[in-house]
Amino acid sequence: MKRYVPLPLLLAAAACADGEGGAEDADTLSEAPWEEIEEAASGAEISMYMWGGDEGINAYMDEVVAPHLEEEYDITFSRQPMDAPEFLSRLMTEREADSMDGSGDILWINGENFRTAKENELLYGSFADMLPNMDYINEEAPYVENDMGTAVEGMQVPWGNVQYAFQFQGAEDPPETMEELLDWAEENPGSMTYPDVSNDTGNGFVRHILHHVAESPEDLAEYDEAWLEENGDDVWETLRELAPHLWREGETYPDSLSQQDQLFADGEVSMTLGFNEHRAESLIEQGTFPEDTETIGLTSGSISSVHYLSMPFNTTEPEAALVAINYMLSPEAQIAKLEPSRWGEGHILDLDAVSSGERDEIEAMVGEEVVPQEDALPELDARYVDWIQDNWEQEVVQQR
Amino acid sequence: MSSSVKSWLLLLPLLVFMILFVGQGMFRAFQESLDVGGSSGIFANYEALAADGTFHAALGVSVYVAFVSTMLSLLLGLLVTRTLTSWMKSDTWKLGAWFPMLIPHFVGAYLILLFFAPTGWFASAAASAGLGFPVMVQDTAYIGVILTYVWKEIPFVVLMLLPVYQEMDGRMQEVSRSLGAGRWTGFRFTEWPWVRPVLLETGLILFVFVIGAFEVPALLGVTYPSMVPVLAFDWFYQSGWSTRPLAQAMMVLLMLGSILLALLLLTTAYRWRERGRSHA
Repeated sequence: MKRYVPLPLLLAAAACADGEGGAEDADTLSEAPWEEIEEAASGAEISMYMWGGDEGINAYMDEVVAPHLEEEYDITFSRQPMDAPEFLSRLMTEREADSMDGSGDILWINGENFRTAKENELLYGSFADMLPNMDYINEEAPYVENDMGTAVEGMQVPWGNVQYAFQFQGAEDPPETMEELLDWAEENPGSMTYPDVSNDTGNGFVRHILHHVAESPEDLAEYDEAWLEENGDDVWETLRELAPHLWREGETYPDSLSQQDQLFADGEVSMTLGFNEHRAESLIEQGTFPEDTETIGLTSGSISSVHYLSMPFNTTEPEAALVAINYMLSPEAQIAKLEPSRWGEGHILDLDAVSSGERDEIEAMVGEEVVPQEDALPELDARYVDWIQDNWEQEVVQQR
Repeated sequence: MSSSVKSWLLLLPLLVFMILFVGQGMFRAFQESLDVGGSSGIFANYEALAADGTFHAALGVSVYVAFVSTMLSLLLGLLVTRTLTSWMKSDTWKLGAWFPMLIPHFVGAYLILLFFAPTGWFASAAASAGLGFPVMVQDTAYIGVILTYVWKEIPFVVLMLLPVYQEMDGRMQEVSRSLGAGRWTGFRFTEWPWVRPVLLETGLILFVFVIGAFEVPALLGVTYPSMVPVLAFDWFYQSGWSTRPLAQAMMVLLMLGSILLALLLLTTAYRWRERGRSHA
């Protein structure tokens, strides 16, 4: 590795002042009072690397976040639609070239992508403690400190919380447990499929199969190679048995969630799936999904996943990025994010920390839970994601 | 200034661009494909690749798709050019024939999806006529991918062949006919010697393009076996980048294969032209 400005760690950096580059880092900024950061942010142009495949999410960013940042802080905000592996790859190239004037200032990230970013020193540093709005977040929640087995260390802050759910059209009696879903697939040949596991939605479905095979979620609480060796075959066997009943008899799988949603919208399959139990609502409203689309959270357990906001090591506008992230954690922005006609995804607020008016608003908006809290399953260690990616094609698709 | 020095100078901007961007990229790919300091030798990734069944399947399907698409495009392109040469003198016709070249490949692939998918136009038409419709997109025979390439590449073949036909000496055909040659013999002796090197070069361009292109098989291919560029993309990004060196090794092999093929075919085309000249 070539020389580069080392990533500031909260404690170590005081000892080693690194003059190179002279860029403001997380430590110098953490000394500054918040008002100064807000002042320095004024007039900046920032952009955010984020997945762009959901119109509802894009509408939230363009219609709520961007105008607010413009009016309140004179910050010009724009999205750069890109899949996480792609922007991480770009950051890695910039890291190797010591390029400190990156074109992205905020990252939308979680899980194995966060781990990759952290391990390769692609992140700005520990900034969570600087944000005043972290007060609204329940710091006791396990996901604040730990993201799918990787220690967060303040390098990213939770932004939203979603449940995995399934959408059906025209199903009279849609399945409510994994067992029933597998039977349903058999009774309705060609109606079901799931995306390729290089895609997080498809990978998430297989993670549910891991939970299905495991006797209790505790078996999977930590990455356990011995468990995989003993039970891995059962996971693949379940999927191999499912395959002939799937769309195209499991000969091929949709390449992405958008492709599966397209099949669903065209009526070629009659179920689709994905993180965010409310994601179908805006799609029905736009007329993409049929009116009779029904969303089901499995009572046998549904993975609950948290996603985060972070900053790349080479942001040129760290103050503005901090101000924008801080706003996105505010009760105002989090409540607007609940609105089903736009994004409609779960908040990460601590209900004891917000005002009673805000609490009422949240409760009115959240309404009936698709997945009751007691059915939520913990997200798995990112190494399980790798294990699925490494073996699925060989064990399931090639074994037809 | 001698003419060869001058032509090199004229090429200089392109060469600098190639070395800076393409060359640098190829060098990086090669560098990342090596296993430096590993216990299993510097070419360990290439050995792993040679033993990898998924890679073999990807290579097999890639060669099949590239070969079939190229051959069909050349054949149909040749037929179109021969039939239309006399009309092609007008610019309107030329533009009409070349129009599909303006459409990007992924748009072309979407159009194929729109027409040929099981819920597409042709399937609906077949269904209303009470007929079934075969699966032609995202199919293991890669029919949709081949269809896309064939209709996209025929205009390119026409573009390459048209000058040959327009410069052809029509009197040769008349002579062969007056000597009693049939259509095939006439084609064999009055057209083929001029068409052959151009077809070979065009075929090379098509084959190398199809085998290395990503977007069409990504949209219309299948999960397994996937074409080499799609597999490379997957390996490049998945599993915390651990399979990235394999992806790079695969791309280096694809590149070397393409260069070897180019050398072989271009020398053959050159030899054919020389022979044609000495006969004339």
